[in-house]
Amino acid sequence: MPEGKDELFKKLSDSVVYMDESLTVQLSNEVIDKGYDAYEAIEKGLSDGMERAGKLFEEEEYFIPELLMCSDAMYAGLDILKPHIKTKESGEKHRVVIGVVEGDTHDIGKNLVKIMLETSGFDVIDLGRDIPPQKFVETAKEVEAKIIALSTLMTTTMEGMSEVIRILNTLGIRESFKVMVGGGPISQSFADKIGADGYSINAAEAVRLARRLVGGAA
Amino acid sequence: MAVVKFFPSGKSIQVIEGTTILEAARQAGLIIESPCNCAGICGKCKVKLDSASLKNVVQHNKYHVSVEEAAQGVVLSCETAVAGDISVEIISKQQNKSLKILSHGKSFNFELDSFIKKKYSQNEDITYIFAGEHTRGTENGNTERDNYGMVVDIGTTTLVASLVDISTGTELQSVSALNPQAVHAQDVLSRIKFASEENGLDTMYSSIISEINGMIDELSKTNAVAKSSIYEVIFSGNTCMLHLAANVSPHSLGKYPYTPEVYGGIHLSAAEHKLDISQLGIIYLPPIISAYVGADITSGVLASQLHKKEGKTLFVDIGTNGEMVIGFDGKLSATSTAAGPAFEGMNITHGMRAGKGAVELFNVERDGSITVKTIGDIKPIGICGSGLLDIVGELVAYGVINKNGKFVEPEAEGILPSLRERLVKIEGKTVFMVSDGVYLSQKDVRQVQLAKGAVRAGIEFLLQSKGVKAIEIDNVLIAGSFGYHLRAKSLINIGLLPAEFEGRIDFIGNTSKSGGHAFLLNSSYRGEMESEVKKIDVLELANYKDFDKVFVKCLGF
Repeated sequence: MPEGKDELFKKLSDSVVYMDESLTVQLSNEVIDKGYDAYEAIEKGLSDGMERAGKLFEEEEYFIPELLMCSDAMYAGLDILKPHIKTKESGEKHRVVIGVVEGDTHDIGKNLVKIMLETSGFDVIDLGRDIPPQKFVETAKEVEAKIIALSTLMTTTMEGMSEVIRILNTLGIRESFKVMVGGGPISQSFADKIGADGYSINAAEAVRLARRLVGGAA
Repeated sequence: MAVVKFFPSGKSIQVIEGTTILEAARQAGLIIESPCNCAGICGKCKVKLDSASLKNVVQHNKYHVSVEEAAQGVVLSCETAVAGDISVEIISKQQNKSLKILSHGKSFNFELDSFIKKKYSQNEDITYIFAGEHTRGTENGNTERDNYGMVVDIGTTTLVASLVDISTGTELQSVSALNPQAVHAQDVLSRIKFASEENGLDTMYSSIISEINGMIDELSKTNAVAKSSIYEVIFSGNTCMLHLAANVSPHSLGKYPYTPEVYGGIHLSAAEHKLDISQLGIIYLPPIISAYVGADITSGVLASQLHKKEGKTLFVDIGTNGEMVIGFDGKLSATSTAAGPAFEGMNITHGMRAGKGAVELFNVERDGSITVKTIGDIKPIGICGSGLLDIVGELVAYGVINKNGKFVEPEAEGILPSLRERLVKIEGKTVFMVSDGVYLSQKDVRQVQLAKGAVRAGIEFLLQSKGVKAIEIDNVLIAGSFGYHLRAKSLINIGLLPAEFEGRIDFIGNTSKSGGHAFLLNSSYRGEMESEVKKIDVLELANYKDFDKVFVKCLGF
């Protein structure tokens, strides 16, 4: 009896959790060879693995390097599976516009959040770093994003976050977007103060927050 | 309006409802330490309320307040708004008055040729005072012998002021104090932010000048030197500290591309800055290297003669910002890296500054015997930076923390029994008990990883910029007060420094001050360093594409 589909997906998920990139590639190819559904393999294999990795990160079992190695494995698998997705199945993904606010060039934290959101099925538009408030708003409007995610490491630039919210208010489009914030000097109280919709302390929690903000799965 | 009464001082003040307890304290002229300046992340501004007062406040966030503390009425003063009359007890675990401050540093031999010179004219019976080429003024009679100067090392946390007899070149005494700005905002960035707000610069500027004047007063009294005989003060400090001491807004330092307003290499009038020395007195700001590699590092380069050294030398100042300079036959490259406040005990569960009761040394012998030493040899109440690095270093060396930074399970093989018994579970998570009630958590180890990873990544990029390998470095100089209290063994154990540096590491102490002495006593170094800093290649790490990768690689042990 050949290996069952669910068993293979479970192995795929494990290979991501255990940071085994070559095994992830091998198993992804196996999914295609056996004619299993690529979309399902991503969801139940790769994404599931990343979710478990994120959980381990929150439990302090894994740290940034491990999380990144998991995501390397995940992306390697994704490269193989993605071309095989039948478009109608992929559905409409929630868009997130993410970036580091103006005046700050530290982007490691933002990159982590981006990876975690992407692997959880969000469509992430990464503006990069040192991004003026206006740019966040313009892009979010343009791509019809659901969420604007703002990051900074520097105490001196965090006010740029409230500026984004101020612009949204002025334009009368505050209700069209959810704003989430994070980074070294940011706290829940700062998020409350500037009227952001949410704060997350790390990249794994950012996924849960984003899901909550869009009201369910990505 | 509501009345807030503070204890133990007994001071009270009327405030509008909605004012936070911290704001009320500030209005009353009382100091509650608030290192993060109300960002709501440090949890250090705790105060205690009685049960009646608890009903008259609105608490917003309780970050860092444990259930146990909350039950005792402990609240965060920056997150608690006054809603009626209350009594507040100011509690502070930090014993700042006993902070360990280092005042000596490595220096070199140089000739005495001061910027300030005095010359008595017998014909006129007056003494001329020269500042470089210019005549600053005259004094009646022969005062040639009374020529004093000072060096103030303006650290972000601490100040060291040293009184020097310019005519002989001898240091009479040095005294230290806390940088008074730190109670409002601890790290450089919070201070930039504070100074950018209304009246912020004024608070920062006037508090530092008044503290320095206090030190001048003390030095003048104990050494029987008239303040009017002090003619020059060197301000050695990082770029932000120079801005604040010169009453210039550091705002532009806080935002990319991090442009300074003050570049140093300038003289200011002491009278204009209300510095309590001779009316003719001047202040010299040594040249900075960049926004995040300041005049303290320039002084360090001068003191260690890095720009004249043959071979390959690495100079590192470890702190909230790690600054480093590499010299390759006198050609210099510099960079700085955001290590974060972990080394100052911030964001560490039982972290504290280097005050009484802080674990400053932790050592494990092969036979398993453990030494825990605190400042003041009292019962441990927390862990300061040097202790933190020691603990993590030893735990890595003895396999209690694995390469990835994770605590091993208590039942893991090959762990010394004396260490194993200290691995306990608190709220379901493994921690390492350093002593009764003081422990190291997994989160704390992560903070150390981030801090040391940043410094190590900076070192890796500097080495790369010169195309050299760690093994080729002849000499590693660890400067600064914090660095002085560290052990080479721990720096290597945690991988803040590459293992190849073993046996080549020297701790050179407060070179910000010793370099300042050289600036004070031989004026030729001013021109020399002003042109030298322009030749230094400054690496902006954030602009390197693979910085992420290198940093992440440096996180492991």
